[in-house]
Amino acid sequence: MSSTKLLTLKTSDGEEFKLDEAVAVKSQAIKNMVEDDCVSNAIPLPNVDSKTMTKVIEYWKKHSEEGVSKDQLNDFDKGFLEVHHSVLYDLLLAANYLNDKELVDVICQEVADRIKGKTPEEIRKEFDIKNDFTPEEEEKIRQENAWAFD
Amino acid sequence: MAILLDDEAPIHGDVLETILSHVPLIYLVPASYVSKSWSRAITTSLQCFNKAKPWLIIHTQCTRSPYDISVRAYDPRSHVWIEISQPSIKYVSALRSSHSNLLYMLSPSKLSFSFDPMNITWHHVDAPRVWRTDPIVSHVGGSIIIAGGTCDFEDDPLAVEVYNTETRTWEMCESMPAILKDSAASTWLSIATTRDKLIVTEKFTGVTYCFDPKLKKWAGPYELRPDPRIFHSVIGFSNNRLILIGMIGDAENVTRLKIWKVDTESFECEELGEMPSELIKKLKSETFGVSSISVCLAGDYAYMSKSSELAEEIVGCEFINGGGVRWWSMKNEAAGDGNRSERVVFTCSVIGLGDLQRAMSLGNRKFALKL
Repeated sequence: MSSTKLLTLKTSDGEEFKLDEAVAVKSQAIKNMVEDDCVSNAIPLPNVDSKTMTKVIEYWKKHSEEGVSKDQLNDFDKGFLEVHHSVLYDLLLAANYLNDKELVDVICQEVADRIKGKTPEEIRKEFDIKNDFTPEEEEKIRQENAWAFD
Repeated sequence: MAILLDDEAPIHGDVLETILSHVPLIYLVPASYVSKSWSRAITTSLQCFNKAKPWLIIHTQCTRSPYDISVRAYDPRSHVWIEISQPSIKYVSALRSSHSNLLYMLSPSKLSFSFDPMNITWHHVDAPRVWRTDPIVSHVGGSIIIAGGTCDFEDDPLAVEVYNTETRTWEMCESMPAILKDSAASTWLSIATTRDKLIVTEKFTGVTYCFDPKLKKWAGPYELRPDPRIFHSVIGFSNNRLILIGMIGDAENVTRLKIWKVDTESFECEELGEMPSELIKKLKSETFGVSSISVCLAGDYAYMSKSSELAEEIVGCEFINGGGVRWWSMKNEAAGDGNRSERVVFTCSVIGLGDLQRAMSLGNRKFALKL
């Protein structure tokens, strides 16, 4: 068994994570740094906090495991994404910053699924959004789209 | 739960716009009423991340009373099939389409037609004076043009009439050119409509004529034969592009299928691309070879299949700005259950968020993803 290189990632709140290079390069950003050979010390990730990094690493590790069936991965993803939308948002920002397209797509799809089939009010409740239409604008929308508010 | 102001709202900015690019257009309509910032994010997302793309719409008319029409659509932006339920349209006769999103039914006494993107508005007018079984019917700049397709006992197989929406009457016009005498029906002629002209091409010879409904006159002939080996031609017009689809070989063995862009003044052809051979196979049917393919175009998209009743798979083509064509194929999720008591018509429409908002605001239509 060949020895795999261990990388050290340092999050915004100063915590350090040690990770196999083979797993860490799921992040295109990290992959680029490895290729440019600037990873002798800890890789700083000032835009990601430790709480989010823990989750990202959990996802990377599961998706790097051998002998995991597609069904098992789907089950894992389902559970992984069953979190509050603010957690998803932090994950999305991190995945975007780390440039992991696959993870970005998976999270976007989950949030999109939470929008599908909902009325405007249901969407607002789901994502804690303030309705900033004026009462007149709101009334006009209601009149034209009574179906949407049933 | 605390209600947060826009800047502090958890999901906003380009993250929101990226997420919205994953939401099918039909669900962006309610999402656009969530808040002003969501409405803005949807507009930006549709402009920059994932534009609205032309829908393929499949209308299936039952051939038994009450002749209900069911509608399914494919939205290539999100690769989803949609079930559309809508109010019944009063039956007149067999449903047909001759180009992009024109739908019509013609009986001896009546012509009903619709040409808006979602076929919401139907117009009902008296039938033309000459009875026709298989005419070409087209909508050009507010006029309806009907040509050919007459019965054997009619005097002039090439008769052309134009419906004037102001006087609400049919006017006889210059008949079709005599050379089309034996092929003056929709079976033999392929048509395309620009903003102000009807273009008619004989499928076997490529002989082409143009009709101007304002002058009520024909011009031509033009020869649409960029490759002498073409045995079957189909034309269409969308997004300022007149397209010629030419099949090379013969009905039992189509060896190639090419697409050309045609100049609407000179009728010179410029090759745009060629269909990959593994996709040509999907247009063949065991009984008829490739004798008739169904083609509809809108925007930068074209959808092709073997004659609509039989199509299990659909070949799609996207015209890329700057030249080139992208090909793909997909399963026809609206294919009947092999139940031949149905008439199937394909149309294609550019559907934007505004079109869907207006359609949904009518309150009598439902759109749901077909699962």
